[in-house]
Amino acid sequence: MSIMRINVGPIHPSTHGVLRMVVDVDGDTIENVEPHIGFLHRGVEKLCETRMYMQNPSYFEKLDYISPMSWGDLYIGAVEQAVGIECKEAAQYARVVLIELQRIANHLLWIGTLCNDIGQLFTTFMWCFRDRAKVLKILEDVAGQRMFYVNMRVGGLNRPLPADFKDRTYELCDYLLTSVAEYEKVMDHNEIFKERLKGVGVLSSEDAIAYGVTGPVLRASGIEEDVRKSMPYYIYDKISFSLPFKSEGDCYARYRVRYEEIFQSIRIIRQVLDMMPEGDVVGQPIKLINPPAKPDTVVARRELPKGEGLIYMVPDKQKPYRLSIRAPGFVNLAVLPKLCKGEKFADLFAIFGSLDVIFGETDR
Amino acid sequence: MKTQGFDYLKKITAVDYSTYLEVVYIIYNTRERKEEILKVKLPSANPVVETVMGIYKAADWYEREMQEMFGIMIKGRNAKRLLLEEWNGADHPLRKSFVWGKDYQKVQ
Repeated sequence: MSIMRINVGPIHPSTHGVLRMVVDVDGDTIENVEPHIGFLHRGVEKLCETRMYMQNPSYFEKLDYISPMSWGDLYIGAVEQAVGIECKEAAQYARVVLIELQRIANHLLWIGTLCNDIGQLFTTFMWCFRDRAKVLKILEDVAGQRMFYVNMRVGGLNRPLPADFKDRTYELCDYLLTSVAEYEKVMDHNEIFKERLKGVGVLSSEDAIAYGVTGPVLRASGIEEDVRKSMPYYIYDKISFSLPFKSEGDCYARYRVRYEEIFQSIRIIRQVLDMMPEGDVVGQPIKLINPPAKPDTVVARRELPKGEGLIYMVPDKQKPYRLSIRAPGFVNLAVLPKLCKGEKFADLFAIFGSLDVIFGETDR
Repeated sequence: MKTQGFDYLKKITAVDYSTYLEVVYIIYNTRERKEEILKVKLPSANPVVETVMGIYKAADWYEREMQEMFGIMIKGRNAKRLLLEEWNGADHPLRKSFVWGKDYQKVQ
């Protein structure tokens, strides 16, 4: 049969953003996929060069609007290195709790939209959003905003934590443990769900390294790699947690890795709350940042919910001279043509959904 | 470097220092968990760099992006299209000679 070329999109698949794909199919089998990106290109890297350090954080939060707190933390981490200021001790604990809460919120939304993509309609989607709203409520009370927090400041946070923060977070952890465990009943015990994901879009561990995928996609292919373990920041080296990883490398493994990560995050949050010292968490006011000495280059890394985020920065006196972003969505989307080759057209969106790509950070 | 166990490419990017360009490779050893940063200096006019696609398949999109954003030609590659949709390909926005706000109108 001859090869037919189909234009898919520009559409707005599961996680937010716009994507266009050109798919070559032979009958029902995919021969090649070419993702066309750039619909959300804002020129963030150039924009940052024209603005002072503390005018930039809100751009970074908009890179990944599902987990803004984590990106804000990564950017402030880079600025802290550039100006040579350490984060306060109590604030380190608070930040770990906040970014782990953000990780849970991100994975909950991803599970919901994945089920939506593969046609399991709205049951799980609604459950996930119900639980995610509870997480966002706590983040909102900490930062004063529901979605774009801009809560990180050099040396700490924007404002003190609410008085009942600890109690409410403990309560939330208890709630999530029972409620997220219920998801298994509609997903792992559901034959259709498993059929749609098992053995689909397999990525071997050699290919995973060669194509440079990151985060849960890499761990689902059997590589135990996580910045929190390999280059620990904040207090991650004092906490005991394990990295969920699977060796199958298919869509189902990617789902399991993220699902189990939720429980690991809950485990981390509980430990950190137990250890959390009393003390001031408020960082420096925006206007007081005046970098004294400038290092040649700054490299900051964080394990974001979607994978490893990295900022390579050449600092200048008041502004970044050059700022380069490694976005996990960008590297994970680049592997899509490899994953889709030989799969059925109907599985295209199951595979795409399993990568957890977001276009704010892919297009930048 | 790959024979020394650096099997994972994290990032390729470039910096424009006005008088010269610098290409930065961040590579990683997944077994020993070590990171290494390599830098290559290039002239500002007609910069050309050799492709690393043969060593790291992850380089594909980074190299296309670099060609688009900095005008650095990649030797040994003939990409049919660069990365971003509907970009004109003649202007290189991350060069310092591209002035934010002024040249933007031109691209439009």
